[in-house]
Amino acid sequence: MLKLHGKLPVISATQGRPYLVTLTKNQSLPNALRAQRALLTTSNRVPDGYRAVFSRHFSPSSSSRTSDIFFISGDYDYLDEGDIVRIDPDTGSMRTLYRHGSAHNTILLTEQCNNYCLMCSQPPKDHDDSWLLKEAMQLVSLMPSSTERIGFSGGEPTLYGRGLIDLLALTKRNLPRTAVDVLSNGRSFKDFAFAKAYREVGHPNLTIGIPVYSDDAVRHDYVVQAKGAFDETIQGILNLKKVNQRVEIRVVIHKQTIDRLVQTCEFIARNLLFVDHVALMGLEITGFTRANLDSLWIDPFEYKDILSEAVQVLAAYGLNISVYNHQLCVVNADIAPYYRKSISDWKNELVEECSGCLKQGECGGFFSSSKMYRYSDNIKPIVS
Amino acid sequence: MSEKTSRQEQVVSFDSNVYSLIAVKKAAYRFIDLFAANIELGEREIVCRLHFTQPRSEEGCLRAVDEFRKEALDQDLRERIKAETEPVRNLILAHAFSKTGIVGDEQVPKD
Amino acid sequence: MSKFQKIEFYKSPKAEYRLLPFRFTPLDDSRHVLTNLAGEYLLASRATVEDLVNHRLDKTSASYVDLRSRHFLVDDDTSVAPELLAIKVRTSYVRLAEFTGLHIFVVSLRCEHSCPYCQVSRQSEDKGKFDMSPEIASASLDLTFRSPSKNIKIEFQGGEPLLNVDLIKFIVIEAEKRNKTAGKNLAFVIATNLALVTKEILAFCRQHAILISTSLDGPESLHNKNRPRPGGNSHQRAIEGIALVRQELGRDQVSALMTTTEASLGQVEAIVDEYLKHGFSGIFFRPLSPYGFAIKTKTYRAYNADRWLEFYKQGLEYIIDLNRRGIEFVEYHAATVLAKMLTNDDPGFVDLMSPAGMAIAAVVYNYDGSVYASDESRMLAEMGEERFKLGDVLEDSYEAIFSSPSLLEPLEESFAYSVPMCNDCAFEPFCGADPVFHYGLQKDYVGRKPESEFCHRNMTVFKYLIRRMEEDSFVKRLFTKWGTR
Repeated sequence: MLKLHGKLPVISATQGRPYLVTLTKNQSLPNALRAQRALLTTSNRVPDGYRAVFSRHFSPSSSSRTSDIFFISGDYDYLDEGDIVRIDPDTGSMRTLYRHGSAHNTILLTEQCNNYCLMCSQPPKDHDDSWLLKEAMQLVSLMPSSTERIGFSGGEPTLYGRGLIDLLALTKRNLPRTAVDVLSNGRSFKDFAFAKAYREVGHPNLTIGIPVYSDDAVRHDYVVQAKGAFDETIQGILNLKKVNQRVEIRVVIHKQTIDRLVQTCEFIARNLLFVDHVALMGLEITGFTRANLDSLWIDPFEYKDILSEAVQVLAAYGLNISVYNHQLCVVNADIAPYYRKSISDWKNELVEECSGCLKQGECGGFFSSSKMYRYSDNIKPIVS
Repeated sequence: MSEKTSRQEQVVSFDSNVYSLIAVKKAAYRFIDLFAANIELGEREIVCRLHFTQPRSEEGCLRAVDEFRKEALDQDLRERIKAETEPVRNLILAHAFSKTGIVGDEQVPKD
Repeated sequence: MSKFQKIEFYKSPKAEYRLLPFRFTPLDDSRHVLTNLAGEYLLASRATVEDLVNHRLDKTSASYVDLRSRHFLVDDDTSVAPELLAIKVRTSYVRLAEFTGLHIFVVSLRCEHSCPYCQVSRQSEDKGKFDMSPEIASASLDLTFRSPSKNIKIEFQGGEPLLNVDLIKFIVIEAEKRNKTAGKNLAFVIATNLALVTKEILAFCRQHAILISTSLDGPESLHNKNRPRPGGNSHQRAIEGIALVRQELGRDQVSALMTTTEASLGQVEAIVDEYLKHGFSGIFFRPLSPYGFAIKTKTYRAYNADRWLEFYKQGLEYIIDLNRRGIEFVEYHAATVLAKMLTNDDPGFVDLMSPAGMAIAAVVYNYDGSVYASDESRMLAEMGEERFKLGDVLEDSYEAIFSSPSLLEPLEESFAYSVPMCNDCAFEPFCGADPVFHYGLQKDYVGRKPESEFCHRNMTVFKYLIRRMEEDSFVKRLFTKWGTR
């Protein structure tokens, strides 16, 4: 798992607020550009003019009077040209916000949420973190327009209301060719006016991913720990479709959703056939999942036939399907057309049971958290 | 045992709380080739005297009476259900013809 | 953790629920078929249905959750069902307003075959008397393009339409000319026995993307018995014709239809094998129609609904078995019914529509300019019953024809939801109104359904398909594939 944030020793820095900066490895950047960049360097010399310098040397000799200089350990060797970080000059606290070479850049907009899912990978916190939204606006202004895809997630991004709409509009203007995925529980869209405002963004490639955990309203409400959530979510999906927005439905598979997985897919096929994509996802052992592991954990190998049946229902009705977060040895071959390697590169690993497996390259692997805490007892190398 | 007379008569009554008069008349009309029906509305009953116009065995007459009863029930139900489902039926038929330009002032809700 | 609630917290303590509109019909001694407002079905035991209707159903029972999520009841835990039902119902009726999509042109009544069941009388002589004229064809095209439907399919029938191939060419070219402004999705089909097909004709078909539909009743002996022609070689001509069409137009450009006769019963597997042998990927098991020569020559009475049902079941099982063995082959009648059962789409199959498919889905322009509400209507007219004739292409306007009482009356009278037994039948969403059939047999647009062969046949098929899906998961998967094609 990549270390995306930590504290860097401050060698010398001007007091001030945290700021975003784009990284470069180019020691000879034209002066005009240096003030907007942070240099990543292994040399012990610190050239002048960069906004910040991240050095592998603990006491680099500096000719700079204006750069903030930090020590950066080998943990961050993944950082590269074009990446964007937030650095706090006072504390040295750094977070990687955007990785140029990654296909999986997701921007956290808030930790607030009006659901409280049993398996939430980003447990809600009820504090004002609207600075994250402001930062996101800054970030999309810095990101290169060659970026193919970004995600906005939370918490529940739509809690910002108009603020989210503004961010999406800004993203469209700054990154007109970048595809945007928003993760949301969809409940805010039960208000048709909000759905219309969302439509007004007019984004050319915007998809909203909304979880539906069961055809049974009570079970869905239980999984998301919010009464009435199912009805609001469904209403939100209907409204989004009334204004012709792209909607993806996400179903996380665990012990609380497996019993009615097939019925849930039948429900989607009969009632929500107009959705653009359905994602069936394996469990990530992080956040609340660990606290609720006893009621959530089921070995994917045990449910592989149910998964196959569910996929077949969706496929028969012509829906676009993806199966995420499963290893190849715990699923049946019939889901191959829909199997995706989806775990974000920064948290994707293999386990020792995988040694000798010929499909390592095609397999989605494991969440780092799964490797650490819980994964299938039936991992076996595929040798033919 | 068959009895052939030229003026065979069967008497059939219907509870007027259950069957409507128009249904009984429509049913009787269906059998106009077999019998002439004289229909009287009493206090609680609709009484039909059926005169078979052609010679017919007793068996044949009784079969015709059975058919007549079935037909009365059929007609009664047709009437009630047709009345009850009129709004839905009109809505759907109007929708079917809504784009033909034939039914000009149809109020078909746009979605 | 204490901050997470148990599932009971999310269930309203109130045991009450409210019923949504639904109907039920027995499937067998122990189970009922229930259908909700959108025509989605669910099986339940007698006892469950009684409890449900009497508001005694236990919220913790397995059936309760199914009934709620499949939109048979609502309660305080969720109330999004009515809106979902409304969307589904609207979707199923969308196609209705497209109105007439299939336009059948009977370009000639002449035919060189003499099939005993054929509804079309065989006038083999005078061209002038029994061929459609360009003037009538042109007037028929006026009516065709007046249809609001975005998709227009022009089907050439007869007699044997290739006996008047010049008129076919005229109609195709004229239609394409008019379509430059009309902008419809235009398609053409010729329904022919292929005995007279030539490369020259097929070159024209290729140029104008015309599909071919032909008849293949089964193996040679059966086919020739059903379809006598001078030379007795109908089957051979058909097979050669099919090969030629595939060669000239393409593998999928020819489809085949079978007609079931007395002689067909008992041979269903051989018939399917014949279709397999000649490269077809499916077959449509059709019941014998009661019109035309069939009634006159008593061939209709020669078998009844039950014998055909045996034929159908045996054929369907044989096809299911083929699929089990890895051979993909579809039974199209079942596929059509399954589309109605398993999706909200309207397959637009004329024989199973309510309101009836007459004029709404298809219309017939006869060689002599008469307009009929459906193929069946024309067949009935050939037998002397003209009541389903809507007008004349040369004398009547579109409005007069399509608002003729001969059309509106049977449409209204036969509306399935408004007639006894259909009104509360669980299978009504899958079924249809067939006023022409019922008028032909019972002299009534509605008919008495308990005495109706149409009703008996369809109900048996519905129950059979449902039962097979419920008892065999392979069949369920197969039928789902068929229904969602």
